[in-house]
Amino acid sequence: MNNKEKVLIKGNYAIAQAAVNAGLQCYFGYPITPQTEIGEYLSGVMPDLGRAYVCAESELAAINMVLGAVSTGVRAMTTSSSCAVALMQEALSYACGDELPVVLVNVMRAGPGLGYIYPAQGDYNQSVYGGGNGDYKIIVLAPSTVQECIDYTYRAFYLAQKYRNPVILLADGLLGQMMEPACFGENPYPEVDVSSWALTGAKNRDGRAIYSVGPDEKKQIQHIYNLFEKFEVIKKNETSFEEFETEDADIILTAFGSMTRNIKASMKVLRKKGIKVGCFRPITLSPFPHDRISELANKGKDFIVVEMNMGQMYKDIKYAVEGKTKVDLINRPCGEWLSVEEIVSSVEKIVTERGLAYATSV
Amino acid sequence: MEKNFIIAGFGGQGVLLAGTILANSFMLSGKNVTWYPCYGAEMRGGTVNCEIVVSDTEVSSVHKQDTDYALVLNQQSFDKFVQRVKSGGTIVANSTLVAKTEPRADIKYVFAPMGDLANELGTSKVTNMVALGVLASVVDVVDTEYLALGFEKVMGEKKKDLLQLNKKALEVWGNTI
Repeated sequence: MNNKEKVLIKGNYAIAQAAVNAGLQCYFGYPITPQTEIGEYLSGVMPDLGRAYVCAESELAAINMVLGAVSTGVRAMTTSSSCAVALMQEALSYACGDELPVVLVNVMRAGPGLGYIYPAQGDYNQSVYGGGNGDYKIIVLAPSTVQECIDYTYRAFYLAQKYRNPVILLADGLLGQMMEPACFGENPYPEVDVSSWALTGAKNRDGRAIYSVGPDEKKQIQHIYNLFEKFEVIKKNETSFEEFETEDADIILTAFGSMTRNIKASMKVLRKKGIKVGCFRPITLSPFPHDRISELANKGKDFIVVEMNMGQMYKDIKYAVEGKTKVDLINRPCGEWLSVEEIVSSVEKIVTERGLAYATSV
Repeated sequence: MEKNFIIAGFGGQGVLLAGTILANSFMLSGKNVTWYPCYGAEMRGGTVNCEIVVSDTEVSSVHKQDTDYALVLNQQSFDKFVQRVKSGGTIVANSTLVAKTEPRADIKYVFAPMGDLANELGTSKVTNMVALGVLASVVDVVDTEYLALGFEKVMGEKKKDLLQLNKKALEVWGNTI
């Protein structure tokens, strides 16, 4: 594939090819809609490149194979969807404790339980807060376009090794299944030196071990402090977000992932109607851009969170706003994405209920 | 300018491929475009559809409640999507399989015997390309030259020998009317 050429490509295939470009050496996975195309694509490409493709016997096996592979310093990933990612939570807790650069792609579908294959955004909590035991933090990147599926896959592999921390690429069924023109370009990130820790055989050096457990209480306590200190560095260096027309805005629409494009379109419609709306979109859901949201709230801006779940990111926005301004929620649990028309009319309803205080230019 | 299209028909009629070729034609003409399929527990013989949004600027939302244009290849798709065409929009139907009825007064109807025209070219497999040709005759933003380029892009070098037949299929309706 010519790297500079624009191609019309599905989000799932884009993620798969970007992983190959990023130096993916081992893929372990188990099929589940709506992300099965990732494994399908890699089953064709990886063997031809002399790299490993394994269709594991279960999701549990797949994620643990990734833990094993990345501990040797190679780049490895698994991809799955919501209910099957739930099965992987134990391994993610271990990967954080072991400081292993696991890359996991979650193309979300509806839950809870088996749910169904409709797109949804109900794994915000599962990704950001996790379902594993103990205190741990994962880096979570949320793409909104097929191009970003490529860009953030490159970034995921880099960040995972740079910080020795698991990274989740959190996409959704809509993004996985849709096609859009995108360009692979070159993986823009440098190689990461893993020689100081990777388990590569103890020839001519002392043996190493990677483990998360310490029978020494002091060491265990220190280990957790170290992990959180590391995440403070990640927060400082890697927190990223996008904002549009927030400067003069009274209300800021907030969304993550592919809902971002719907709030941007809604913003344009609402501005034409004289309501000063801006948009804010976290790119890293973890570390979450609390500081910037807090700044915007200090300037008196209200927030409306638009998401395809029962209000998961909503809680983080409220936490960041600290009651300084109002935070509302426009949502649906799963299925057909909230349309621009629905978002616009819901925002107008909220504005009317507030006594038209915002419609200053009308 | 932002317009959206729904293409629908039986599984096996080349609906998703037609949508892919249409989306590629938009990309090649320098526009922003998205393609989104219905996906689910579909099976051969069932109905299938995809939605294409084309825009001069960033595509707003990928999946919309209603559509500017519906291109339908069978009766079930006509019955379903005639309700989703925007007032003032157009439904383009394959009259080989769709009865010529006009259940709504506020939209335009174009009926063309796409299946018959394809058979006259020697194979019903090009019904989807005939259909895109009909669409091009109705909608300014759809262009047969870019559709042919889109076909080449999607089918690649291996299927180059099919280009002539498919170009004919694209043009057959324009030559008829």
